[in-house]
Amino acid sequence: MKKAGLAFAFIALMIGVGYMQFIYDSHYSYFALHKTFVTLPPGKTMKILSFGFHNLMADMLFIWSIQFYSTYNLTNRFDYLEHIFNTITDVNPRYKEPYIVGSWIMALEARDIRMAMRLLEKGAKNNPEEWIFDYELGFYAFKNLRNYPLAEKYFKESASKPNAPSMLERRWAHMVYMRDNLQYAYELWLDIYKKSKKLLERDSAANHLHQIKFEIDKKWLDRQIAMFKTKRYRFPFNLEELVRTGYIDKVPRDFNGYDYIYDAKTGKITASKVFRWKK
Amino acid sequence: MKLRAIALNTFKEAVRNKIFYLLVVLGVITALSSVIVSMLAIGDTEKVLKDIGLAAIDFFSVLIAIFTGINLVYKEIEKKTIFNILSKPISRSSFIIGKFLGLAFTLLIALASMASIFMAFLYLSTGNMDPAILAYFFLLYLELLIITSISLFFSSFSTPILSSIYTISLYLIGQVLWTFNEFKHHLKAPLEKITAYFFYYILPNLEKFNIKNEIVLNNRLDGQLIANGIIYAVLYISALLVLTIIIFDRREFQ
Amino acid sequence: MNALEIRNLKKTFKSNFLIRQYPVLKGIDITVEKGEIYGFLGPNGAGKTTTMKCIIGLIYPDTGEISIFGQPSDDTARRRNIGFLPEQPYFYDYLTAEELLMFSGMLFSLPTKQTRQKTGELLELVGLEQKKNLKLKKYSKGMLQRVGLAQALINEPEFLILDEPFSGLDPIGRKELRDIILSLRDNGKTIFFSSHILQDMEMMVDRVGIILDGTIRKEGKLSELISHSVRYYEIVFTGIDENILANHPAKYVFQDNHYIARLDTVDETNKIIEFIVQNKGKIISITPIKRTLEDIFFEEIHQ
Repeated sequence: MKKAGLAFAFIALMIGVGYMQFIYDSHYSYFALHKTFVTLPPGKTMKILSFGFHNLMADMLFIWSIQFYSTYNLTNRFDYLEHIFNTITDVNPRYKEPYIVGSWIMALEARDIRMAMRLLEKGAKNNPEEWIFDYELGFYAFKNLRNYPLAEKYFKESASKPNAPSMLERRWAHMVYMRDNLQYAYELWLDIYKKSKKLLERDSAANHLHQIKFEIDKKWLDRQIAMFKTKRYRFPFNLEELVRTGYIDKVPRDFNGYDYIYDAKTGKITASKVFRWKK
Repeated sequence: MKLRAIALNTFKEAVRNKIFYLLVVLGVITALSSVIVSMLAIGDTEKVLKDIGLAAIDFFSVLIAIFTGINLVYKEIEKKTIFNILSKPISRSSFIIGKFLGLAFTLLIALASMASIFMAFLYLSTGNMDPAILAYFFLLYLELLIITSISLFFSSFSTPILSSIYTISLYLIGQVLWTFNEFKHHLKAPLEKITAYFFYYILPNLEKFNIKNEIVLNNRLDGQLIANGIIYAVLYISALLVLTIIIFDRREFQ
Repeated sequence: MNALEIRNLKKTFKSNFLIRQYPVLKGIDITVEKGEIYGFLGPNGAGKTTTMKCIIGLIYPDTGEISIFGQPSDDTARRRNIGFLPEQPYFYDYLTAEELLMFSGMLFSLPTKQTRQKTGELLELVGLEQKKNLKLKKYSKGMLQRVGLAQALINEPEFLILDEPFSGLDPIGRKELRDIILSLRDNGKTIFFSSHILQDMEMMVDRVGIILDGTIRKEGKLSELISHSVRYYEIVFTGIDENILANHPAKYVFQDNHYIARLDTVDETNKIIEFIVQNKGKIISITPIKRTLEDIFFEEIHQ
């Protein structure tokens, strides 16, 4: 009898505990408070404060930053983006994921290629034996900056690393040569995507494939839409109309299988955001 | 009356432990070293002083909470002094509650000593005395009580080494649990989600007692959240004491 | 109403992972009448301490009933009337004897003034008045035993449970303890104690229970157990020529210029007395040798 009473009391109290926590969480936005957190002390200080637990601290900060940036309901969340990822990578310079994921957020969400490349440069400097940083840099130089000599330099650098996949050197040099042939670039990336066993490399390949496919599809669709407009004096209502009227065979989907977004008023195509690291 | 007897006895025993004094002294020394370190900082020295001082007191008082609590029940059983107590008309639950009260009192003395010395130095160094800092120490005390109830819980059935590992782990989890608040939303599979929610609410969530930032940056304190913290602590401690009693009730002493 | 009644008490200890089971008590029945001294006798490992811990609530029995003065024993409040002295008592060694007794009194919720007075009395009773301000850390084993007895008496209990109270005491200490126990009994208290020293028991107990390997082999009033118990008569005599003695059927030995003969019955004894007198011998002593507790005990063991 007494035991039952005690057990019941315990459960009731723990429910109370859970409830109080729930109230606390709903009342109190960690992120609002932790605006002070985003004015993090600089990386070196954080490293000292982690009392030797650098890896753990970097992990925690990284996990937190991922959650922070995957919630879209905050304005100005990119204000301290570079600072946060600089701090994380200062605490543990050899932790690769923050550089890569950080650069994706910077390039694809905040749309600041230069910031992304700065972070990647830092990654390359701190991890000189890694091929992936120069690889990503090369990609941005090639596609966004259209600075082909720079891209070639990066790719050569990447290919010289001990762990670089063997196809890098030959293919990338060739790709730069075939600079306007997006289709070729697509096939190269697809090759990596299929062959690579490491998650980071696959995700990286997937992101790039997404971008390239989008560009390829958009080019093609833009042309067909323009042709449609010339003939019919209006934009198609939707992409299916292009199929019915025989301008395209079928409606292309993006690399991950989602539909592109078509605006019938302006005739413009955009891609839905997709980030491999968000589930 | 009986509770008082056990609590006082527990207190006497706790303060006899040399480690206890060592930790208190270390806490005070480290806190006061902030005065020197702050002189090296450019700019806001008062912030650095508070930062280091509060962190030092936090760190050492947590150690005291963990290590004093762990030894208490285990030692009684080891040394068989517990026979004399449990053979008297005192229930097992009274014993546990008495022990807890003794530990709470011990911690109060330890924290009050460290805090008052630090605040005195703070006043002497800066000429400011922000009463909000008392709120910080109050919340820290609540956090310490939660930690103590955890270590008392483990001490009632486990050896000191294992108890200290478990307690420290729960403390560390308590510090970072808040990061999983967002994370658990994103889980899809129902089993994962339920497990995550369950553990998020069961494990001690100690971040709410850490208002160092507010104190150091002189932000406004939110009364509702402090009240929430008090209720949370009371409920959590009670739950743990009940659980300890449930386990301790069934123990036999050969 | 009996001070203590135990019916069919069983306890099995389980080792880790429940692989091994150690049955310690296999069905104990004990009756202790009010106002008597009960001696609980048995070799080491028989289950004496386990039984006592079941009574006081430190161990939980598997089955069986224990009642103290008619009430079930598992009520914590029952212990207000009980004094317990564990085997090899351990105390907080940083307390003094006086502090320990005050602490014990507080656990009974006794008023401070009363406890203080009682503490003084008890310290005198057990002979620790001089050492009352010395920390228990410095006490010898015998002194600790005395403190243990004192703290068992702090609440003036009706029923005392003492586990091996004589261990560690020198002969003087044992006599003093015996006297204390006897005077408690004279004041109407009931004492239940265990020991494996038979001589001590024989001198003071009213009732005896012999426990062996987890069961009670024999229980009863001491007087009954050894009453019908003259084993033989022993006659010591001199002054008879050996040849003449050879005619008598009795067995004898010759030692120190004396003959010592053993006779099993009163008749045989009378016959040999006549014989010695007739033959002008000298009788030095006639002693009936009774069964002792030791004999009873060893009989049980050898079964």
